[in-house]
Amino acid sequence: MNEQTGWLLDVYADPEGGIVLWLLTKADQRLRLHMKFPATFYAAGEFGLLRQAWIYLKDKDVKLERATRRDLFLGEREVMAITLPHPSLLPILFADLSRQFPSLDYYDADIPLSLRFIAQTGAHLLGKCRVFLDDGTIQAIQPLDSHWEVEPAPISLRILTLSPDVNPAIHRPAFLHVQYNQKKYKLSLEPTRAFLISLKADLQRFDPDLILTDYGDTWLFPQLETWAKECGIEFNPNRDESKEVLKRRADSYFAYGQVVYRGAQAHLFGRWHIDRKNAMSWGEYGLEGAMEQARVTGLGVQEMARKSPGAGITAMQMLTALRNGIMVPVQKQQVEGTKTLIELIRADHGGLIYQPLIGVHGPVAQIDFSSMYPAIMVKHNISPETVGRVAEGVPTPVGQEDAPEGLIPKTLRPLVEKRLALKNLLLELDPRDCRAEVLKARAAALKWLLVVCFGYLGYKNARFGKIESHEAVTAVSRELMLQAKEVAEDLGFTVLHMYVDCLFVQQEGYERPADFTPLMEAIVTKTGIPIALEGVFKWVAFLSSKQDKRVPVPNQYFGAFLDGTLKVRGIELRRRDTTTWVRKIQLVVLNILSQANSPEELTDYLPTALAYIESKKRDLRAGRVPLEELIVRQKLSRVLDGYKSPSPAARAALQLQAIGREIAPGQSIEFLFTRDGVHAWELDERLDSRRLDITRYFSLLDRAMQTVLDSFASTDTLPRLL
Amino acid sequence: MGRTVITITQQLTETEGMLSPFRRTLRRGDQYIFDGLFAAARRHIAAIGQAESLLPFETALLAMLLEQAKEIAVLQQELEQLRTKCE
Repeated sequence: MNEQTGWLLDVYADPEGGIVLWLLTKADQRLRLHMKFPATFYAAGEFGLLRQAWIYLKDKDVKLERATRRDLFLGEREVMAITLPHPSLLPILFADLSRQFPSLDYYDADIPLSLRFIAQTGAHLLGKCRVFLDDGTIQAIQPLDSHWEVEPAPISLRILTLSPDVNPAIHRPAFLHVQYNQKKYKLSLEPTRAFLISLKADLQRFDPDLILTDYGDTWLFPQLETWAKECGIEFNPNRDESKEVLKRRADSYFAYGQVVYRGAQAHLFGRWHIDRKNAMSWGEYGLEGAMEQARVTGLGVQEMARKSPGAGITAMQMLTALRNGIMVPVQKQQVEGTKTLIELIRADHGGLIYQPLIGVHGPVAQIDFSSMYPAIMVKHNISPETVGRVAEGVPTPVGQEDAPEGLIPKTLRPLVEKRLALKNLLLELDPRDCRAEVLKARAAALKWLLVVCFGYLGYKNARFGKIESHEAVTAVSRELMLQAKEVAEDLGFTVLHMYVDCLFVQQEGYERPADFTPLMEAIVTKTGIPIALEGVFKWVAFLSSKQDKRVPVPNQYFGAFLDGTLKVRGIELRRRDTTTWVRKIQLVVLNILSQANSPEELTDYLPTALAYIESKKRDLRAGRVPLEELIVRQKLSRVLDGYKSPSPAARAALQLQAIGREIAPGQSIEFLFTRDGVHAWELDERLDSRRLDITRYFSLLDRAMQTVLDSFASTDTLPRLL
Repeated sequence: MGRTVITITQQLTETEGMLSPFRRTLRRGDQYIFDGLFAAARRHIAAIGQAESLLPFETALLAMLLEQAKEIAVLQQELEQLRTKCE
């Protein structure tokens, strides 16, 4: 028996039986290894039905056993364990069985293979491990590190980058930009045969672990397949040449109140493919973040780069369940419990959102609870199975702190701790340190997992969700916010605003970060949840509603910290549908104003700001603004036939449809406002700038400027007797 | 989250809608003051929500009163200051 040490790159089912593992060894080899890996799923239900299912299965290539396993909500349950010798057969058999016996409850039947592997072996994706081999087959695996390690040994990946010269959805690309290490060159797409041969040779020469593309999912890989067929050339971009590229179709779905469009996908085996243009949060945390999410969730890098963090948190919950002997139900079983009307009114609340005192205030400190909701779930043991069991007389049941740690806190605790450790590490680092960017990306990737974990408690399809646990988290959060407010007021502060997990406080004479330390210590002592000082604003403006100046809006504010850094929320600058032209001007104006050291000084900077705005208007009138900066982006919320009176985006989409482009809900449409309506940006014909609707763009700019400048008009005052 | 109970913001908007014939009949100047009452209630949406009342508009009326009382207190203070200055 020999052994190999290295990093685990990929795990998938082998159609020949067992699983395939790709190991990147310390000697920089990429090994394709095989491992026997039987997979088990469970069926439970009425005895007669189970017996019929047993008769149905007994002549198939499966092992059947009677077993007792734990359901998170029902406790110990008699089940039929169905073990298949090869995991690749499981989805087919499960689909067949559930069709024949739809009333049985099924468990562990749709768990991603990588999670089964991690739960069984303790090794994890991108983790270091030692494998013991006999005749090329793994006999045993020894994990050499943990996925919770804050600074895991870096993996030296070979990365090949491929990107077309133009967006293929708009124009026909002429060549590919290719980059490997420091080497950069162009590959002409014509003639196709020569292009394919060159690309194939490059793939063999570089043997990349990751092919990083732009439009690889939606254009390059589908095209490569077509071109290879047309030219009669065998072209397989997989490292495992026994596999074909795994293709997933494009879809549109509804999430977080909006329609989201996800392009087609092309996944590889033995190496990864990530399309930067089809990766959900690439802009925010890039490859390092996707790898961090893959490490902690147990889903592959290709999956995590494209999936929402919700899929990641579900995977983590499944892994916790598997490791703790809890079966994972195929379908959610927990429905909302019955409540009286008043119980419902008490429970059905979100986080505490105050209405701020309108106007400009300063100096003001912003204090944030760190990862408040996950911290509450961990500290108060809030999980679907721990909440609401013994809560007699308590209006909104919360977690039982003396019960064994629930599935959700057990899943989140190490995640919360790892993120905190990463953030602490970042605080110690010099910002110029080259590790800082990587650590920031990893912390951001973990943050997103923590952000969605709360929503998944109440999500109707979450396996381990239950609305009461969701409500318990917000109930505790509201109580903690009120406690924090009371602590601040006891110490003489005015609470200007509170927003779910942060407070804005002010007191005369309190100007430096250190001035707020006693307050923060008092809040931590009272609530038991860690907090951090986001910063001290020289001035901050809380805005009023555009409809009624007397009504404050909670989620729109901007201000300048002591070091001049801006913080902006909810205004045009932050909105995706604002044109670059307006966004840039609003940002410059805010930067001009950020030089003011107090609310009183702001008016000194107004003349400069107004002059700047006028100069920009002159630029537009004179045609000196690039058309690209005037593009408006709006998402289509429905299919084009569904509009009674088409929005500007729908009208632009109709123009594109007329030239043969396929349009789906959730897609972002870019257009310009013209005197006769709109002009879709992706049309081949370039717009003559004289056709622009200047008045419309001026009104967009005026609106954005009004947001900033109107806030200085009046400031709410409180009677001094408070 | 798919909330079952409508939010306080929605409830206030609904009540305001229900009272629109009342508002319409008021003189233009009175309409502005009427809108101000609802604006006053909207400054305390969080507190009205926390009251967990079956009839939140009752609490909203209290919020309107609170804003009026606050305004009176501010005016009294200003009056005191002016009086002191004059003396």
